[in-house]
Amino acid sequence: MADLWQSAMDHAVVREALQVDRKVMTKSSSVDLVTQTDQKVEKLIIQSVQEKFPSHRFIGEESVAAGERCVLTNEPTWIIDPIDGTTNFVHAFPFVAVSIGFCVNKQVEFGVVYSCLEDKMFTARRGKGSFCNGEPLQVSDQKDIKQAIIATEFGSSRDPEVVDHIFSSLRNIVSIPVHGVRGAGTAAINMCLVASGCVEAYYEIGIHVWDVAAGSLIVSEAGGVLMDVEGGQMDMMSRRIVAANSKIIAERIVKEISVFSPLRDDAPPDGHH
Amino acid sequence: MGDPWQECMDHCVEVTKKAGEMIREALQKDIAVMQKSSPVDLVTVTDQKVEQLIISSIKEKFPDHSFIGEESVAAGAPSILTDNPTWIIDPIDGTTNFVHRFPFVSVSIGFTVKKEIEFGIVYSCIEDKMYTARKGKGAFCNGVPIKVSGQEEISQSMVLTEMGFKKDPEIFKTMMANLKTILTIPVHGIRSPGSAAINMCLVACGSADAYYHMGIHCWDMAGGAAVVTEAGGVIMDISGGPFDLMSRRLIVASSRAIAERIAKEITVFPVGRDDKEGE
Repeated sequence: MADLWQSAMDHAVVREALQVDRKVMTKSSSVDLVTQTDQKVEKLIIQSVQEKFPSHRFIGEESVAAGERCVLTNEPTWIIDPIDGTTNFVHAFPFVAVSIGFCVNKQVEFGVVYSCLEDKMFTARRGKGSFCNGEPLQVSDQKDIKQAIIATEFGSSRDPEVVDHIFSSLRNIVSIPVHGVRGAGTAAINMCLVASGCVEAYYEIGIHVWDVAAGSLIVSEAGGVLMDVEGGQMDMMSRRIVAANSKIIAERIVKEISVFSPLRDDAPPDGHH
Repeated sequence: MGDPWQECMDHCVEVTKKAGEMIREALQKDIAVMQKSSPVDLVTVTDQKVEQLIISSIKEKFPDHSFIGEESVAAGAPSILTDNPTWIIDPIDGTTNFVHRFPFVSVSIGFTVKKEIEFGIVYSCIEDKMYTARKGKGAFCNGVPIKVSGQEEISQSMVLTEMGFKKDPEIFKTMMANLKTILTIPVHGIRSPGSAAINMCLVACGSADAYYHMGIHCWDMAGGAAVVTEAGGVIMDISGGPFDLMSRRLIVASSRAIAERIAKEITVFPVGRDDKEGE
């Protein structure tokens, strides 16, 4: 029997490639414009998918911002970030991605991250490996934390308590010492960098399910591991993630993280976080 | 009369392309090689090879010119800048990135006469982006003119810097405190691409609005300084005073307003100088 989800995956890949409007990117300079593009792109993706797969569900960043619920059921669900790397987008800093993770029974079946300025299409199908523009991906085999590059971000919260936590973690990681700390400015691309072997790990607290759904499969299908920042199983709705080339590196990172708990993505809607 | 340094600049672009090819080849070769040997050793071999390629190719054409190259200096050559035409070379800027195949690795060459930068070339070789700038003639990326963003408002800015480990705990503390100060101005974001020369070019083409760093070297700055200035950007010392190529520190920005604000917020720590003994 043909792969049920293969046609859904093909559909996503083609739509991504066609939908990114670069002209808008180069003209844009205001945050308003980005939001409009976010909404446009998300609508386009959802409409196009709904045409072909009318029974499927959606969790999209902009739809949630507009009041839709963010709850993952067993139903086939498309988890969409139309533009991951919003700040980069505004500045034409070269890392901007479309991210789509497709879940069935709460498990990611395929993930697609299109780094559109680099024209790199990252894909992964559960059990079938990860690829970038058709080339297979493999995490790095570096097991020594002192030879590792770690990716992370400062995030968009300027709440002093949150900033304190972020700087504590950063100080700890830099002083291990690791080879270096880098950040592409987008969670989805940071995860693809882990999958590609360019960095050994990525950690962040504050991201959302739509930032990591696709990337999580791309990392695991490239041989990597996912973990919660406290060492347990990664929970896509928890807003926290560690993605690494190996358990040993992931566990070492977890030791250094100053943990805090942002409001979960699936928390009841008593106020938008 | 034609531009007296045009021939040098044309030659520079040619040899830089060859250097970039050499680096890309080194990256293509069996990744196992990088992983078997100590990463620092392997990089040094490619660094040396690339620098030798550049210097010998230039010496053939311009035998009376001087050189300040990262690897030559590491091997004991002096790094004093004289009035003589001088090529200031970083064969691989973004050493750590090179080892990890993180996509920002560059060849950087700045050419000075009477201690003034006449032209600069930065070749981001994995991206295949050749940044060039001739004094007074603008800055280009792969032949297309580039310009800084012109951003004047710090709270709308994207700032680049690097956060390498510092053995001295006081200096490390100051470096982290500077990061926090800048982040919470607030700025739009802070990024660390990992190559000083490329960071300067990212400001030059408008993808970032500022880059500050204490602890780099003249060979990291010479090429990019020309590119940023010719793209309409501002370059200054971290203290807010005039840029000093041998000072091991700088701020480049899309505007004076942003550069001065960053200078105001940064606490300086000592990094030595490239032209002093034992630095």
